Amino acid sequence: MARTPPLILKHELLSESEARKVAKEYGVTFDKFPKMLETDPQAVKLKAKSGQVVAVHRVDPTGKYMAYRYVVKS
Amino acid sequence: MQAEGIQYIKFTTIPPETIKKISVAKLIVPDTYNEDGYPIDGGLVDQRLGVIDPGLKCKTCGGRAKSCPGHFGHIELVRPVMHPEFAKTIYILLQSTCGKCHRVLLKQEQIDSTEAKASLATTEEESHEVKVSEVEQERIPILKKLKSVKKCPHCGSPQAKLKFERPTFYSIEGNRLKQDEIRDWLSQISDDDLRVMGVDPTATRPEWLVLTTLLVPPVNVRPSITLETGERSEDDLTHKLVDIMRINQRLEQDIEAGAPQIIIDDLWELLQYHVTAYFNNETPGIPVARHRSTRPLKTLAQRLKGKEGRLRYNLSGKRVNFSARTVVSSDASLTIDQVGVPVKIAENLTIPIYITQWNIDHARKFLESKEYPTVVNVIAKDGTRKRVADTNRDDLLKELAPGQILERQLIDGDIALFNRQPTLHRPSIMAHMVKILPGKTMRLHVSATVPYNADFDGDEMNLHLPQSLEAQAEARYLMRPHDMILSPRHGRPIMHIEEDEIAGLYMLTREDALFTKEEACLMLASVGVYELPKAERNGTYHGRSIFSMILPDDLNYEGKSKLGKISIKKGQLTEGIIDESMIGASRGELIIRIFADHGPEAASAFLLNATKLALRAVLAAGVTISISDYYNTEAMNKERFKIIAEVEAKAKQIAENYRAGKLESLPGYTKRETLEIETMAQLNIARDMASEVIKRSLDMNNNAYLMATIKARGNILNFVQTSMFLGQQAIRGRRPSRGYGRRILPYFKPGDKDPGAKGFVRSGFFDGLKPTEFYMHAMGARDSAITKSLVTAVSGYLQRRLINAMQDFYAESDGSVRDANGGLIQTIYGGDGVDPTKEVIVAERKQQK
Repeated sequence: MARTPPLILKHELLSESEARKVAKEYGVTFDKFPKMLETDPQAVKLKAKSGQVVAVHRVDPTGKYMAYRYVVKS
Repeated sequence: MQAEGIQYIKFTTIPPETIKKISVAKLIVPDTYNEDGYPIDGGLVDQRLGVIDPGLKCKTCGGRAKSCPGHFGHIELVRPVMHPEFAKTIYILLQSTCGKCHRVLLKQEQIDSTEAKASLATTEEESHEVKVSEVEQERIPILKKLKSVKKCPHCGSPQAKLKFERPTFYSIEGNRLKQDEIRDWLSQISDDDLRVMGVDPTATRPEWLVLTTLLVPPVNVRPSITLETGERSEDDLTHKLVDIMRINQRLEQDIEAGAPQIIIDDLWELLQYHVTAYFNNETPGIPVARHRSTRPLKTLAQRLKGKEGRLRYNLSGKRVNFSARTVVSSDASLTIDQVGVPVKIAENLTIPIYITQWNIDHARKFLESKEYPTVVNVIAKDGTRKRVADTNRDDLLKELAPGQILERQLIDGDIALFNRQPTLHRPSIMAHMVKILPGKTMRLHVSATVPYNADFDGDEMNLHLPQSLEAQAEARYLMRPHDMILSPRHGRPIMHIEEDEIAGLYMLTREDALFTKEEACLMLASVGVYELPKAERNGTYHGRSIFSMILPDDLNYEGKSKLGKISIKKGQLTEGIIDESMIGASRGELIIRIFADHGPEAASAFLLNATKLALRAVLAAGVTISISDYYNTEAMNKERFKIIAEVEAKAKQIAENYRAGKLESLPGYTKRETLEIETMAQLNIARDMASEVIKRSLDMNNNAYLMATIKARGNILNFVQTSMFLGQQAIRGRRPSRGYGRRILPYFKPGDKDPGAKGFVRSGFFDGLKPTEFYMHAMGARDSAITKSLVTAVSGYLQRRLINAMQDFYAESDGSVRDANGGLIQTIYGGDGVDPTKEVIVAERKQQK
C-alpha cells in the first residue's frame, strides 16, 4: 500500500455509538457537522457510507484536536 | 383576511386592453395648464389623473392632494410603435418564425420533443422556477440556430435574411418592415408555437410588445414644481409625454388630411423616437433627448438605474436619525473613551429621558432651562409629541409626570457610537462618552485614531446616539474603547503610543535623564499628579521615578526591551529604558501587563498619562533632526566604497562561474535564473552590510539615528539609502530586464555586465542619483506603487468576502464555533480555544499549574 503523505491528517471511521456520543457531546444532530462526500478519497479509503461520521485528527500550530465530518451522498 | 404570504411574483407585459381598463382618462391634448394656470381637461395633468396641488379635488376618487394616490391615464397612438426594451426579443421571435405562415421554423418532431419537456416543467408545480429556467436555457441556443433556416418546414416558403438595426428597425432584404407589419406578423404566431419558443402566451402575447396604447403614469409620479417666480416647471416625464402627444396629434391630422406617405413615415419615425426616449433616454443608437438647459432628460429607465436610481438609492439605501457627521481633529486633553462633540451638533441631537418618580426632579431641571441643555420635545403618555417652546413651557412643566418621555439635548457623559468608514473590523465602531466642545469638528484622542485608521487631514466620522436604555447599556458595557485596547487578532494593543511619545518616554527613562524640581513638577502636573517622587542625592529627580508615578502601585514586571532589561517592582521602574516594545504597536508588553493585571480602565489611564508625560518630555528634550545627521565621516565613505566594490566583485565572480559552467543551479531553476537570483541576492547583501556600518559609526547623539533605533520614526534603511547608496532596484522582484533589446537604457552597451546597467544604484540620496540611476529608481518606485495599489484592492475584497461568509459565526459556551443554524464549524475555537485578548492570562494560569 502506498505510504500516506505526511500532510494528510489521520481519518477514522466512527461506529454508530461513537458517532452518537460525539453528537451528544456537542448537543447537535449529525447534519450539523461539516459534510464530507462519499466520493471523498478519505471516505473511499475508509469505506465510509452516507450517514456515517468520520473523525479527523487535526494537528496544527495551535495544537491537536478533533474534527468531525458527516458523510453524505454526492 | 390575513394574507398567506407570497408564493411567487410574476412579471409580464400589459395588454392594450388592460391599459384601457386601468386608465381613467384618454389624453388628447398635448399640453398641461392653460393661461390661467388651470389643468387642461384631457391634458397631461388632467384632474382625473389625481391632484398634487393643495385645494384641488381629484375627479376620479374625490381625494385631496394627500389622500389621492393618483390614477393612470392613456394615450392612443395613431400608429403602432415598437417597445424599445423588447426590440431584441421581437427580433428573435421574427427570426424564429416563418415570414409567410408565421409558424416556428422547427420541424414537427423538434416541436414535439420541446413540448414534452415544457409540459414536464408545468406539471411539476413545486419546482416551478427551477424547471422553467432549465428549459429556457436550452431554448435560446435552439432559437439562435433558426436564423439560418432557409426554408419553412411547414409551408415550404423561402426565408429571407432578417436584419435588425438598433434601436428599433427591422428590414428584410433592404426593405424596412413597418411597425404595423411587425405587429400583424407577431399576432399571427400561434399560442402553441409561442410555448415552444419559451413564451407564455397567457402572460405575454408578442403583439403587445408593439405599442398601440401608451400607459401614462399619474401626476404623483411626475409632479411639477412651482418656482419662486410663479413659473411652473414640469417633470422630465411630462415633457417627454408632451412630445409624444404632439407628434401623435400631428400624425393623426396628416393622415386625415391625406398627406404624402413620406411625410407620414417621417412623423411615424419621430413618434417612434420619442417613445424610445421616453422609456430609456440612454438607448443605444438614439440621440439623447435634452432639456432646454441642455441637461439630458431623466426618463423611465434613468429613474430606476444605477447608483442614484430608485433601487440602489431609495430601496437599498438607508438613512438614520440621531446621527451626526463632521471632520475630525485631535485633542490631547480628551481620554480615549471620550469624543468631542461641537455645541452646534449637541444642540440638534436629542436623547430621551424616561421619566420615573426617581428622576423627575432631574428631568424638570432640563425642562425649566430656556437655553442649551434643554428639552426639545415632550412625549406624553399617549405617545403624542409636543415641541417645547417658551409659550408652552410652563404648561408642560405643570403636566410633567412619570411615564412621559422628554427629549433633551446632548450633554457631557452621554454615550455615542463613533464610526469611521470603511468599517472593516469591530473597533471601527466604538462607544465614546460625549464631551461638548466649542468648534465645528468632532475630536478624538490620538491613540484612538489607530483602530479607526483615522487621521486629521480632512477625515470625516459619524456619530450615532443609541436612544433606548437597553441600547445605551449595551454600548456602555460592550463597545467602550478601553475594552478594545487589545486586538482580538493578535492580542497586542491596537491602541498604543507612537512617534513623538515613544521618543518622549525614551528621553524620560534613559540613564542620564535627570530633571530639576521645577521640571519634574511641570511634567507630573500635566498628568494630574501633585506629589513628587523620591529625589536623587543631588536634589534632582530621575525620569524613571517620574514615570513610575503613573504606574499602578502594585505593578510588577520583568522583561526585556530592545535596549535591555526592564524591571518594575511595586510600581517603580528600577531599571531599563521604556521603548517601543513596551508601549508601541509591535509588542506593547507594558500595556498588556497593566490590562491583564489592573483592567481596561487602568490600561487606558496609563496610555493617556504616558502620552501626556511623554509629550512634556520630548518638548523638554527637543528631539529634532537635520541634514547634518546624515553626514558621512571619511571612514564611513571608505567602507561604503569598499562594500560596493566587494559585492560587485562577488557578482562578477558569479557571472564568471556561470560562463565557465561552474554555477550550480538552484532546485527548480535553470542556470540562467540561478545566475539572476544569486547576483541579486549578492547585491542585496550590500544594504545589510551598509546598515552594519551605520550602526557601528553612529550613536544616540545623532537624533535621526536615535529615532530609528527606538522605533519612534524612520529606520536604518533610510540612512543607508541617504548617506550610503540606494542599492539594487527591483521590478517584479527581479533586476530590471526590459528595454532596448539587450540593455535597459540606450546609455549602456548591449549585454553590459556592469551591475549599474541592471539597476544597481551606487549613489545615495545625499550625493544625488545619476540620470541612469534615477531612471532605475523611478522604474522600481512605479512598480512598487502599482503592486501596492493592486494588492490592497485584491486583499481588501478577499477579506470582505471572508467577513461576509463568516459574519454570524460565534463561540458557543462549550468552546465550539457555531453558525447561525447551530452547525458545528470548529469543535474548539481556533484549535486551542484561546482568545488572543486573554492570552497573557491564559499563559500565566498554565504556568501556575
